[in-house]
Amino acid sequence: MSFADTWLFLQQGVLSGLVTGSVYALLAVAVVIIFKTTDVPNFAQGEIFMVGGYIALFLILVMGWPYLAVIPVTLVGVAVLSGLFQRVVMERVIASKGVGVQMVIATLGLAYALKGLVRTSGLGDTPRSLPPLASTDAVIIGDAVLTRLDLLIFAVAVTVMLLLFGMFTYTRVGRAMRAVGMNPKAARLTGVNLTRIRMMVWALSGLISAVAALLITPKILITPDIGHIAILAYAAAIVGGITSLPGAVVGGFVIGIAENLVGLFISTNAIVVAPFVAIMVVLLLRPQGLLGGKLQVKKV
Amino acid sequence: MNQRSRYAAAAALCVLALSATAQAQQEPGITDKTIKIGVFAPLSGSGMAYGFDVLNAAKMWYAKVNKEGGVNGRQIELVIEDDRCNANDLVAAVKKLNEQDKVFLLNGGSCSAAVVASREYIEREKVPLVMLNASGDGALYPPSKYIYGAFSISQHAVGGSMVQFASEHLKAKKIGYINHDDAYGGWNLEAAKAQAKQLGDPALQVQSVNPNITDVTAPMLKIRAGNPDVLLLTTYARPAALIIKKAHELGWNKPIVLAVNGTADLKQLVENVGNKDAFKNVYIQDVLADLPGGPKLTWVYEMYKQSYPDLAAKPGHPQSYMPYGIPPAMAVVNALKAAGPQPTREKVLQALETMKFDSGVMAGPIEFGPGDRAAQEAAIYIKFDGTNMTLVPGAFKSTWQYQK
Repeated sequence: MSFADTWLFLQQGVLSGLVTGSVYALLAVAVVIIFKTTDVPNFAQGEIFMVGGYIALFLILVMGWPYLAVIPVTLVGVAVLSGLFQRVVMERVIASKGVGVQMVIATLGLAYALKGLVRTSGLGDTPRSLPPLASTDAVIIGDAVLTRLDLLIFAVAVTVMLLLFGMFTYTRVGRAMRAVGMNPKAARLTGVNLTRIRMMVWALSGLISAVAALLITPKILITPDIGHIAILAYAAAIVGGITSLPGAVVGGFVIGIAENLVGLFISTNAIVVAPFVAIMVVLLLRPQGLLGGKLQVKKV
Repeated sequence: MNQRSRYAAAAALCVLALSATAQAQQEPGITDKTIKIGVFAPLSGSGMAYGFDVLNAAKMWYAKVNKEGGVNGRQIELVIEDDRCNANDLVAAVKKLNEQDKVFLLNGGSCSAAVVASREYIEREKVPLVMLNASGDGALYPPSKYIYGAFSISQHAVGGSMVQFASEHLKAKKIGYINHDDAYGGWNLEAAKAQAKQLGDPALQVQSVNPNITDVTAPMLKIRAGNPDVLLLTTYARPAALIIKKAHELGWNKPIVLAVNGTADLKQLVENVGNKDAFKNVYIQDVLADLPGGPKLTWVYEMYKQSYPDLAAKPGHPQSYMPYGIPPAMAVVNALKAAGPQPTREKVLQALETMKFDSGVMAGPIEFGPGDRAAQEAAIYIKFDGTNMTLVPGAFKSTWQYQK
C-alpha cells in the first residue's frame, strides 16, 4: 500500500467513523441513561430505534406528511412508547419485587413485540430508506469525501449530546435523573419521585433513539432487523464505561472509527468483529471503561 | 406353440402386468388415476415474496398438464404446505407431506437456508425433492441422489457467470468483487475464482463484508484504491444499495454489475440509493430468458393472468420471481413422463439425473448430470439506468463444476 493510499485511508476512515460514531454515541447515551437509573440493560434499544425509523417511514410513505410534521410526531411517538413501557410494564415488575433478570426479559419481550409489529405492517418486507434530511452532494475535506448529509448527521448528533449535557448539568429534572442514578434511596428521601423520573428517563432514551433513527436511516437503510445496531451502542457504552455519559460519547466515536480503520488496514471481514475486540481490550486493560472512573466496591 | 403354451404365456404376461401395477401402487402417492405431489413455499410471513407466486406458477403448469390429460393417464394432485421461508417450518412441512399425506415426490422450497435443513431427512426417507426456486447450494453439493434444484440459478453459477460477463463483455482485466462473508458469499466466490482461472486469470480483488454492515466506506475505498476495471457485487439488497450509493459518493464511474441476489425490487433499490446518477454505469444480472415483460416471456405472464385473474389485478402481482416456478414443474412432469406408465421413485430419479430441456423461461437450459444437481447455470445482463433496461445480447454461463 502506498503512502498516499495510507494517508487517504486514515483521513477517510476517521472522518466517516466520526459520522457513524456520532450516531452510535447517541444510542450509547440512550443505553447508559437507562442503565444508570434502573440498573437494567435495555435489550430493546435497537428495536426502539428501529420503530422510530418505521414511524417516520409510515408518516412519509403512507400518510404523505412533510418532514416538518414527521420529525416532532416521530420524536414524541417514540418517547411516549418508551415512557409508557416503563410505566406500565417495568414499574409493575419493580412493584412486585422483580429482580434484574425479569426486567431484562421484559425488555427482550418488547424487542420481539416491536419487531413482530413492524413485520406485520407491510413496510418491513424490503430494505427501505427515509428521504435524506440534507443533500448527498459530496464535500471534500482534505483527501476524504463526505456528504452534506454526513455533516448534518454529525452536527445534529453533537448538538443533541451538548443539549443532554446541559440538561443533566443545569436543569432540575436532569439533576434528579443523575441523583436517581447515583443513589435512588437518597434521591427519594430528598423528594424525588422515582417512578416519574424513571419514566422520564425511558422517554428521553426513546427520544434520543428516534433522533438517531431519523439521522442515520437515510444512510444505512432500514429493515426490521436493523436493531442489531444496538450491539454497537452497547460496545460503545462498555468501551466508554457503562455508567459514564461522556464515556458513552467517546466510546461511540471509538467504535465508529475502529470499524473503518480495521476494515481499511486489516480486513473488511473483521469490521463486525472490531467492536467486540475493542470491548475485550478495554475490559482487559481498563475494566471500568475509558471514562468509567475508579473501580468501586459495592456492599451487598 | 400349442394351446397349453399359449395359455401359460398369457398367464405369465398377466402376472407380469399385475406385479408391475402392484409395484407402482406400492409407491406412495400413486393410484391408477392420480399422482400426489407435495408442494411447499413461503405463503405467508416476510419471505412470502420469494415463493408465493412462484408456487402459483408451478400450480398453473400442473393445471395445464392435467387439462391436457395428465401424465400417462394420471392426473396430478397437489398437496400444498406453507414453509414460511423458515427451516423449522419447512422441515415440518416436508415430514407432514411425506408421512401423513404420503406424496410420491416433493416439489418445493424457495429459500436456500431453509431448504438445506431438509437434506438429512430427504436422504434418510429416500423421497425425491425437486426444489422450486431456491438456490440451495448447500443441499446440492455434494450431489445427493434425491435432491435437485437451482432452477433459477445456483449461488456458484451467480459468481461464475458474473466473472464471465465482466471478462467477455466488459473486457475487464482487473475485477473488483464484493461478496458476503457467509455461505452464500463463499459459494459464489468459489465459482468466480474458478471462472477467472479458466479465463486466463484476470486479477480478482475481493472484499468480503458482513450482511449486517452499516458503513461500507472501507470495502468501497479499498476497491477504488485497487483501480479495477469493473466492480461485481454479489451482496443482498441492503448492502448492495449502500455500496452503489457509496461508490457514487466516492466518484466511482466504472461499471458496477449487481448479481440477482440484490435485484428483487429494482424500484426500491433506486429509491434506496437516492440518486439516479449513481446508475449511469450499472448492469444487473437476471436469470430469465428475456427482460421482465419481454416478448420471450409474454406467454408466462398471459398464463398467470388467465389462471389468477383476481390476483393479477392486485398491485404487486405477479411477484418478480413468479416465472421461476414453471421450470421445476416442467422438470417434475418430464421426469414422470420418462418414468413411464408404472412410475417409481427410482425411475423418476433416473430420469432427473440425465434430464436436459429448454424451459423457454430461464436464461440457459435446464440440465442435470451425474455430478451436477443444479439445473440452471447461465444469466443474462441488463444495462439499468435507474429507469430503463437494455438487454445485453447473449447469456453468460458459469463453468464451475463440483469436484470431489
